[in-house]
Amino acid sequence: MTATIKPQKAIQAVLKNAHVQFLVFGGLLLLLPVIAESGIMKMSTLETLGFVLIYSIVSIGMNLLLGYSGLVSLGTAGFMGLGAYLAAYTVENLSLSFWVAVFAAMVIPTAIGLAVGAISLRLRNIYLAIATLCISEILMKTFEQLDWFTGGTAGKQSQYPTIFGDKLDRGGVFVVIVVVLVLIMMLTHNIVNGQMGRALHAMRSSEVAAQAMGVNLVKYKLVAFALATAYAGLGGGLYLFFLKSSYPSTWSLMLSLNVIAMVVVGGLRSIFGTVAGAVIIWGVPELVLKKLPVIGSISGLPYIFSGILIIVVIMFFPRGLKGLFDIIVDRIRRLSKKKVSAVPGKSADTTEPTEPEVQP
Amino acid sequence: MENTRKEALRIEKLSIQFGGLKALDDLSFTVYENEIFGLIGPNGAGKTTVFNCITQFYKPDAGHVFFNASDARQRGHLKRRDLPADGEMVDLVGKPVHRIIRYGLVRTFQNVEVIPELSLIDNVLIGAHVDFNSTMFEQALRLPRARREEKKHRAQAVKAMEFLGIADIKDQLAGGQPYGILKKIEMTRTLMCEPRLIILDEPAAGLNNTETEELAKIIHMIRENYHCTILLVEHDMRLVMEVCDRICAISFGKFLATGTPAEIQKDKSVQEAYLGEQEDE
Amino acid sequence: MIIQPFIRSLETGSVYALAALGIIIVWRTNLVMHFAQGSMGMFSATAVAFVLNRAGLPLWLSVLAGVGVAVLLGFAVDFSIIRRLKKATAVGKEIITLGLIMVFLGLAPIIFGTDPMQLPKFITSGDVQLGGASISYNALLNIIIGIVITLVLFYILQNTKIGLAVRATASSEITARLMGIPTRTVTLFSWATAGVLGMLAGVMIAPTVMVTPSFMNAVQVNALFACVLGGFQTFYGPVIGAYLIAICSNFLKLYVSSVWGEQLMYLIILAFLLFRPNGLVGKTYIKKV
Repeated sequence: MTATIKPQKAIQAVLKNAHVQFLVFGGLLLLLPVIAESGIMKMSTLETLGFVLIYSIVSIGMNLLLGYSGLVSLGTAGFMGLGAYLAAYTVENLSLSFWVAVFAAMVIPTAIGLAVGAISLRLRNIYLAIATLCISEILMKTFEQLDWFTGGTAGKQSQYPTIFGDKLDRGGVFVVIVVVLVLIMMLTHNIVNGQMGRALHAMRSSEVAAQAMGVNLVKYKLVAFALATAYAGLGGGLYLFFLKSSYPSTWSLMLSLNVIAMVVVGGLRSIFGTVAGAVIIWGVPELVLKKLPVIGSISGLPYIFSGILIIVVIMFFPRGLKGLFDIIVDRIRRLSKKKVSAVPGKSADTTEPTEPEVQP
Repeated sequence: MENTRKEALRIEKLSIQFGGLKALDDLSFTVYENEIFGLIGPNGAGKTTVFNCITQFYKPDAGHVFFNASDARQRGHLKRRDLPADGEMVDLVGKPVHRIIRYGLVRTFQNVEVIPELSLIDNVLIGAHVDFNSTMFEQALRLPRARREEKKHRAQAVKAMEFLGIADIKDQLAGGQPYGILKKIEMTRTLMCEPRLIILDEPAAGLNNTETEELAKIIHMIRENYHCTILLVEHDMRLVMEVCDRICAISFGKFLATGTPAEIQKDKSVQEAYLGEQEDE
Repeated sequence: MIIQPFIRSLETGSVYALAALGIIIVWRTNLVMHFAQGSMGMFSATAVAFVLNRAGLPLWLSVLAGVGVAVLLGFAVDFSIIRRLKKATAVGKEIITLGLIMVFLGLAPIIFGTDPMQLPKFITSGDVQLGGASISYNALLNIIIGIVITLVLFYILQNTKIGLAVRATASSEITARLMGIPTRTVTLFSWATAGVLGMLAGVMIAPTVMVTPSFMNAVQVNALFACVLGGFQTFYGPVIGAYLIAICSNFLKLYVSSVWGEQLMYLIILAFLLFRPNGLVGKTYIKKV
């Protein structure tokens, strides 16, 4: 009997490894283009899911900022848009490669973000929100006015990228997005579970205690903000290559708020939660709400949906979907434990090693 | 005899005002190496203000906080330009708050500052923040140096937790733990950076009698095992008299007396300052 | 040639000042950064336009109806959300107001329709000559409204019982409650006041633009920056900030760049924060450790 359980336990242990989970998740996502091509799923659904994944990348960055550091940025959409236009400009006007485009889409918004953050993060955390709100207004104006760069209100057109000599199609770009998302998930997991993640935790929990432990507050706030901005720029670049165009109206404050909603609803400080949040905040309105009879055609509906979800989650479920998921898993585990302990003798083998109980 | 001992911390003419109120007034005292030194005074005497001025959370209006950082070079936590000249005491006044720990000076807080969302061992590991040399990129990619450091400090944290008898619950979340455990976590955290001087802000507050007795033992154990100096503010007179080698008494931000516990107990000015309060203790 | 743009600046300054006053009252009494001030003002002002255009009520009656809507919205937000948030973190409360933006921006077109509406000026024609500049009566009225309301509010804050309660709550909510001050009434009052101020700002700026869900965005940003510039510690700082911002941006638009003037000013304010991080009339404060 022990012989059959041991490999099972080994598999369980492997599945519990976060990196393995990310890879499995990515593998499952890669099936989607195949399913879409077979005709079971509509191509438009694949497109929506592609945007969900792009927003997942962006909101994982926002989670680093909001969840771990307790800072709010309202410039996400602006930085994302800047990333998109930079990518388009690099490929279309400068005729440079996909890689240069993605690099530019990440680095230039980050540099601007660092400058803004360096000024606004010195005194009060809330100044970052106000400063980024202003930067997003400036960027929005830039997108509308700077014709040579953005094509103005008529928008900027681009095409599917060529990677390693291969001209990609929509499914191909989807694969690229999945790969980037999985990489981002892994890197973020490593960051938040190491020295830097602990420093961010310490900073959010108590600034004075963090300082006493040697955490340089301005530096870590800046790093968190820079990462969030880099992820947003990267997301913007991918957005451009996936949609092949970019319009100023996309990069409004509402998008920044939606990204915050994804983080809050999905679960602060949870990577998978953030992806789930993106599915709820972007996927549900696109795939479900807009197809509902009568109310589906109302233009403000997705906003109200996100807005109410944010408020309800903060009021009643501060840990978001991730918290809900944990509670459900906990319930199931307890139920199964009860069943197991009803059969004495077997319980010793099957129950997991329990953690030592908390001493009251 | 005292002249031959090495100084660990020398407070010189420290003054700070809050809106006209003199919280500290020309305060001076010296703590010697490897000593357990108590700072006492009636409520509102400015004890915590002294701590905050030492650790630079408050910037004093006048005065100096000289700290013996003769091993700063060996510690390797400071950039070369911040290193003190050899054999000299460093004046901490004006240094950024987050750099203080790099000189080997670490503190706890009156109301325990523990992160509820992290496990106990992760909370302890925050104390090793300045010991990490790997960059964020090394950590994000889990390169060998980052892994090595993480492993080394984790082992060190387990050892420190064993020292205080809490290693068996190291993976539990800090949120919801009893107060006594959280206090121990804060103490363990200070040990991670191999401190020269530990400042304890009311370590016995909120503890019951047995826990306080245990605390006295722990403080002694820390000194013996980690060869450091300990400076503590405490309301619990029994603890102070029991553990401290020397005591400094202050009242309304002014120096009253310094000496051994027995001397302080006999001191007239201290008795006057405490008149009426001692009954409660 | 200076007078004309200066008067125009005072007019927009009044709009920003009213919006900023709402933000600062909510901030001082609730410690919540009111990002939804603009969108709540937009909602009530759209209600005014709706009543005026669809029900044909005269303007003054529509504005009165708008006051009612704004007060009710303020009450509703405080009663159903904010006061149930005692345990939420500061960031949590900020995010709530961000959620409110989405709710009101989504609700406005559903309730009032998607067609842009227009609001007329209070005084449709006529102007006075002043040192070679012609200033419309309506502009003068707007300036007077802004200044009078600001002064009335300051009088209430300084000289009445409710004003004392507001100031006490602002300096320390817990102490105020222990001293028997009905802090719940104070916060209710502050949200309602913020709502009315936002609505007035909306009604004053609406004749120059179309009433659409986004017409208050610029006001929101400028009002927030007025608070940053003036500092969050006093009630009058943001008002000073509001007029300064209006003057600066108008002259920058006029003499530097009509397109980028306002953006340039934001950058100047950000740079200014480097030198005075607490704003013009802000004091430094000491955090208790």
